[in-house]
Amino acid sequence: MSAVDRARDAIDRLVDASASERILISTAALVLSVLIGAVLVLVAGRMTTCTAGEAVYYFGTGFCYDPVVVFDRLFLGALGDPFSGNWSPNGQFAVTLRETTVLIFTGLSVALAFRAGIFNIGTQGQMVVGALATALGVLWASSLVSGALGTVVLIPFGLLVGGVFGGLYGAVPGLLKAYADANEVITTIMLNFIATGIALYLVSGVFKDPESAANQTVPLPEFAQFPALLFGARQDFSIVALGFGLLALAALYYVLEHTSFGYDVRTSGVQPEAAEYGGVDAKRTVIASLTLSGALGGIAGAMYVMMILGTFQTGIPSYGFDGITVSILAGNNPLGVGIAALLFGVLKSGTTVVQFATDVPPQLVGVLRGLIILFVAMPEFFRLAARRVPGAGSRPEAVATDGGSATDRGGETDE
Amino acid sequence: MSETPADHDDGDTGTTDEPDENGLFERYSTRALVAGVTIVSVVALLLAGLLFPDSLAGTLADTLTSRNTLAAALRLSVPIAFAALGGIFAEKAGVINIGLEGLLIISAFSAIYVADITGGVWIGFAGGVVASTLLAALFAVVTIGFRADQIIAGLAVWLIALGLAPFASQVIYGSPNTPTVATSPSITVPVLADIPFFGALFSASPSVYLLFAAVFGSWYVFERTAFGRWIRASGENPKALDTAGVSVTHVRYAAVLISGVLAGMGGAALSLDLGQFTGNGPTMVNGKGFIAIVAYLFGNYNPIGAFLSTMLFAGLDAVQTVLQIQGIGIPRQLIRITPFVVVIIVLALVGRTRLPEAAGEHYDTEE
Repeated sequence: MSAVDRARDAIDRLVDASASERILISTAALVLSVLIGAVLVLVAGRMTTCTAGEAVYYFGTGFCYDPVVVFDRLFLGALGDPFSGNWSPNGQFAVTLRETTVLIFTGLSVALAFRAGIFNIGTQGQMVVGALATALGVLWASSLVSGALGTVVLIPFGLLVGGVFGGLYGAVPGLLKAYADANEVITTIMLNFIATGIALYLVSGVFKDPESAANQTVPLPEFAQFPALLFGARQDFSIVALGFGLLALAALYYVLEHTSFGYDVRTSGVQPEAAEYGGVDAKRTVIASLTLSGALGGIAGAMYVMMILGTFQTGIPSYGFDGITVSILAGNNPLGVGIAALLFGVLKSGTTVVQFATDVPPQLVGVLRGLIILFVAMPEFFRLAARRVPGAGSRPEAVATDGGSATDRGGETDE
Repeated sequence: MSETPADHDDGDTGTTDEPDENGLFERYSTRALVAGVTIVSVVALLLAGLLFPDSLAGTLADTLTSRNTLAAALRLSVPIAFAALGGIFAEKAGVINIGLEGLLIISAFSAIYVADITGGVWIGFAGGVVASTLLAALFAVVTIGFRADQIIAGLAVWLIALGLAPFASQVIYGSPNTPTVATSPSITVPVLADIPFFGALFSASPSVYLLFAAVFGSWYVFERTAFGRWIRASGENPKALDTAGVSVTHVRYAAVLISGVLAGMGGAALSLDLGQFTGNGPTMVNGKGFIAIVAYLFGNYNPIGAFLSTMLFAGLDAVQTVLQIQGIGIPRQLIRITPFVVVIIVLALVGRTRLPEAAGEHYDTEE
């Protein structure tokens, strides 16, 4: 049995052992995080002040925030209130899908690197670089074409520019890891700070929009942005962009599961020694995975510019860090990323609804982001909890540093 | 800097079983190289500054020899060095604590909050330490008790704190930034404080002196105490420690809790020094926890080495702050990213550091 076969065996065993458990763990982690979030909302409600009339009462104690309202707004609000009878695609639901679209790309970016056994914490920085490159590239190109033809040409062009620049920025930690053995967790985090700094410099200087007080580039013309088909234009959501996202999910799934590159990536992630022994070029795989991962991050930036903002502005929301949660929640499986991105899209979009309806600060979703990662990282906790329930047995593997992660070949459906 | 104890320490750890002597040799030489290059360039800069006082070199030389720069470097190194010391404890014991950034954030906020409601700076300091230690305890339970992957759990600790501190600040103060509280005055040693340049060492905030004590204390623990040997064994050869009748689990819990205490001191000192916590974006901690990790890797897990490499980063930061104010033709936004660039360069030059043998791995007691 060759090393390659052994490695394949190891992967298969991981797959069979934990596909369904992984879904259970992710669900449990999500539920538990929401419950802790509810407690947090209650505690926060004790620490702030409000009038007696605004307070709600549980267990005979008054609280300023009502977790039931918070989570009702968070989930139902994000879906555009499907039970209220006047649901419309132009409401908050479009915002949720918009967030989901960007999260699909950052989630895939993190997931791909994870599968290769690499921690790409730099998706945020790669997204910033891709977003800035797209904003500038498309702005330049938009003077050459116009109208419907412009849209057809400029959108793929913008995605390409974002992907290329994000990919180049992702290649930097790849090269550093392959040739200088520099730990990618640290380098990618440092590169996030550097990307933000350079973007601020460029956008407050040479590329600044002279008409605007904010640090931003000149806005793209309407035809250079994703068209709002089916959904209202006000929510900045484009079904076309989501289509690209779903395409990317399927493409990455295919690449990982059915190509030799994907095979190299997966074996490097699960058993680096065996992979190298079996003829996988470790350096090449590291660089290629981080480049591709960076490209996905860069495309997320392009989506943000061409769908949501229409310009590049400093202070890009932390989709890159949310991508870590999305990927971990999805067990680093590209198809799972679709579902996890939708869930997290609900959280992000719901946060703004919560902010409208209550005084609960929007940073709540940031806390949930961390809690979800924490719980998914400790399957042992759920195993112990499940032991109390008779009939629960086998032991799920931890989401591991070496990227050991399950693929789900069992026909799990995408959203 | 080439004869820092960092180099010395690696020699007497003695348990290196890296496959190639070659790698070890290379590592020594890159460390020496970085130190050498730093010294040579500083000397060259000072000479150039002396010869051409009106040039850019002159400005830089003035900045470097200014007592204010040393004072600023010391002040800036406090949170990083404390976090680095904490990181050494955890990682030497076999638990990679990548959540130092989160510990700094949570303690920076808690210190201000407690100082604000009690009115006492030192009570606030203690509050920051307690908050950080609690979060470290959570991290310990998750990684040691529930065998979670250390890197992922560490990231979670960072992200939880990154969300929780601004959340709490928003709830309590209605803004991610807290109002300002009183700061503690600096302690000045008479006479010694008047020495040019080095006088800055004797006129500093109490947290700087606390840091000196912590650096020396940590060094003492590792070099001279049984507990220090246990920690090292827990990271290098947990089985041997187990055989010797010492619980690996207990040692690791203790080490992670100590890392929480130390990082808490750093975070509390950071915010109390300014009298305010700012929670926008990456918060006021702004990557210091991650720089701390590079500092102790570069300092080769030696407390004194970690402190000296922290001074390198903090010194750069101090110089860039001065340059930002003076203006030397390079845009502010670009000067600001120099510490991050230097961290990457240093990491690339140092390359693979020798992690403790069992770091990152869960240890099961055999029954």
